[in-house]
Amino acid sequence: MVRKLLSLEWKQFKRSPNFQKGLAIKIILILAVVYFAVSFLFLGVGAFFIIEDAFPDQDPITVVNNYLIYWFLFDMFYRFFMQQMPVLNVKPFMVLPIKREKLIHFVLGKTAFSVFNFLPQFFFLPFSIVLLFQGYSPLLVIGWYLAMLFFTLCVNFLNFLINKNNTFFYIIATLLLGGIALQIYQIVDFTVYGGMFFNKIYEIGYGFLIPLLALILLYRINYTIIRKGFYLDEEIRKKTKAVSSQDMSFLNRFGDVAPFLKNDIKLIIRNARPKQVLLMSFLFLFYGLIFFTQDIYRDMPAVLVFASVFVTGGFLMTFGQLVPSWDSEYYKMMMSQNIPYRLYLKSKWILMIVGCLVSLVLSIPYLYFGMDIFLMIAAGAAFNVGLNSFITLLGGVLNRVPVKLNEKAKAFSNTQGFNPTQLIIAIPKMVGPMLIFYIPYKFINFEAGIFALALSGIIGLVFYKPILNKIEEVYQKTKYKTIAAYDEKN
Amino acid sequence: MIAVHQLSKKYNQTEVLNIESLDIPKGQSFGLVGNNGAGKTTLFSLLLDLIHPTTGHIKNNNIIVSESEDWKPHTSAFIDESFLIGYLTAEEYFYFIGELRGVTKTDVDALLTEFSSFFHEEILNQKKYLRDFSKGNQKKVGIIASFLGNPEVIILDEPFANLDPTTQIRLKAILKEQAAKRGITVLISSHDLMHVTEVCERIVVLEKGKIVNDTMTSESTLQELESYFGG
Repeated sequence: MVRKLLSLEWKQFKRSPNFQKGLAIKIILILAVVYFAVSFLFLGVGAFFIIEDAFPDQDPITVVNNYLIYWFLFDMFYRFFMQQMPVLNVKPFMVLPIKREKLIHFVLGKTAFSVFNFLPQFFFLPFSIVLLFQGYSPLLVIGWYLAMLFFTLCVNFLNFLINKNNTFFYIIATLLLGGIALQIYQIVDFTVYGGMFFNKIYEIGYGFLIPLLALILLYRINYTIIRKGFYLDEEIRKKTKAVSSQDMSFLNRFGDVAPFLKNDIKLIIRNARPKQVLLMSFLFLFYGLIFFTQDIYRDMPAVLVFASVFVTGGFLMTFGQLVPSWDSEYYKMMMSQNIPYRLYLKSKWILMIVGCLVSLVLSIPYLYFGMDIFLMIAAGAAFNVGLNSFITLLGGVLNRVPVKLNEKAKAFSNTQGFNPTQLIIAIPKMVGPMLIFYIPYKFINFEAGIFALALSGIIGLVFYKPILNKIEEVYQKTKYKTIAAYDEKN
Repeated sequence: MIAVHQLSKKYNQTEVLNIESLDIPKGQSFGLVGNNGAGKTTLFSLLLDLIHPTTGHIKNNNIIVSESEDWKPHTSAFIDESFLIGYLTAEEYFYFIGELRGVTKTDVDALLTEFSSFFHEEILNQKKYLRDFSKGNQKKVGIIASFLGNPEVIILDEPFANLDPTTQIRLKAILKEQAAKRGITVLISSHDLMHVTEVCERIVVLEKGKIVNDTMTSESTLQELESYFGG
């Protein structure tokens, strides 16, 4: 039975349109995985000696244990955004004589073999082996390694849980945020407790039993939740809340773009995926904090420009790169309806600009880092509005990935923004503003750089009509390809 | 109104459609029948310029559809659910299509009242989005939306499928009425021989992408068709 299910999985993987089309993407992904594996491997082998050098008076295993809490937190964080949740299309299996238990165990077991679980082992395993060679007690080291393995798997199933179940998501998110707040205001120092905890696990030797028990518990909870949801009416029929029609006639002042604007706003507020983008773009606002707080970047204004562009460009880029994919579900209708493409594009463009301006207003607190920084952000916003918006729209049409509006996205499940053309398009977005700033900055001064960046955006705005026309042409030219691509449901 | 000229469509090496010539005069109600894979939806997709013909062209009111977009204002269609916008309520969808076709809100409302018996109180004021409608009700919305803005050509792919018997009967009446009233050219494809023969003045049978039969509907048409497909 399991073998049959596995062969189905393999077929699903091999025959998915994404796989057949995007071999280049797969290669890039595999390279990325190999890169991380090798980096971890080197880190695993070298960590012991590096730590020994850096903290000569401390035991390397203690140092590692002290920081493990961050490791696992980070693990959880990026899994939440990156790891693809296993989907087994249950509907066809429900009427077949297969035990439900078996299917659920299969789905859960499958996640244990995720790349995300193997990667950390490339660090833990060599590190443990080095410990053994250094004469640490084999029993303790093996116990510690097992504990790490089980903790990794715990994170795996915890992630599964918070993905499938909103209650758990909110509980965990609250706990984490609370913990971070307590840490920041130095009420409780979790680093110390985390260190104590992991060191204890190492010292007592049979400490791996704790994560093992947690693992079994998490597995059971996952199992029960899926088991309960294993009915058509609950899985497939989602609860529908009563909704009412919205008029939005206040948007009529935008003239002929108004019908599209109204629609696009409804698109954003009524669908899961665009809402997710909205949240993501809000997080982009904080991107600058990483750079502006570090003194080393103070003397590298080109890097700061890079950050500034992202502060206001979050929505513009994340939303814009999926134009026209947002309308993929009903693209055929759009293409046969009495629609001037210009207006369609213009509406999306206006939304992107509004998103950028709202971000600019929200980034006013960056004044705290000085007028220079804020000017940089404002110039970055000008670049975003005047140039980046067009580059992004152009990239979008080359994207051609159907978007399921009311389903949240996971990286790797749909490889959006990850095809070679998309990468090439991304280069001017990243390098462009840095160059526009850097050249006048180098030869004249800082103000000239800022001015050049702002000017680039204004020039784009002045010529928006011919530029939009050109983009429209590209959209028209690729129309059939786009329709065909959207027709393929994954 | 519609003129097909040496039209063919190939995917890789397989030819799915090959029509030497086909003329549909203005005001005709035209029915397209054929088994699965006969090329009905391909023809309609070509008519709406959703796919590119391998050879030949289609003229809609003397406009080559793959070269100009000027056929769009007088043409409307409902092919499948992908013509609906899932996150809108039925009313919002009608108003949106109305706006695209230059129909004011009051005129949309007037049209909707005209079809209230067709809706059977299941479409308007439902407090839910189109994506949560049943297949049949989605179809009703799409069909009525295609009547908005006085189109001269209406293209409906399988309009009777998924509809309940009452609605099927009402739809037949509506289609006949539309075709008669304003001289609208209606193009329908269907698997249901009885429905098409009842609604359409002319029936074309497609088989493996080719026209194998082209008749004006008469008393005996249904029998002929049945023996054709049965034998």
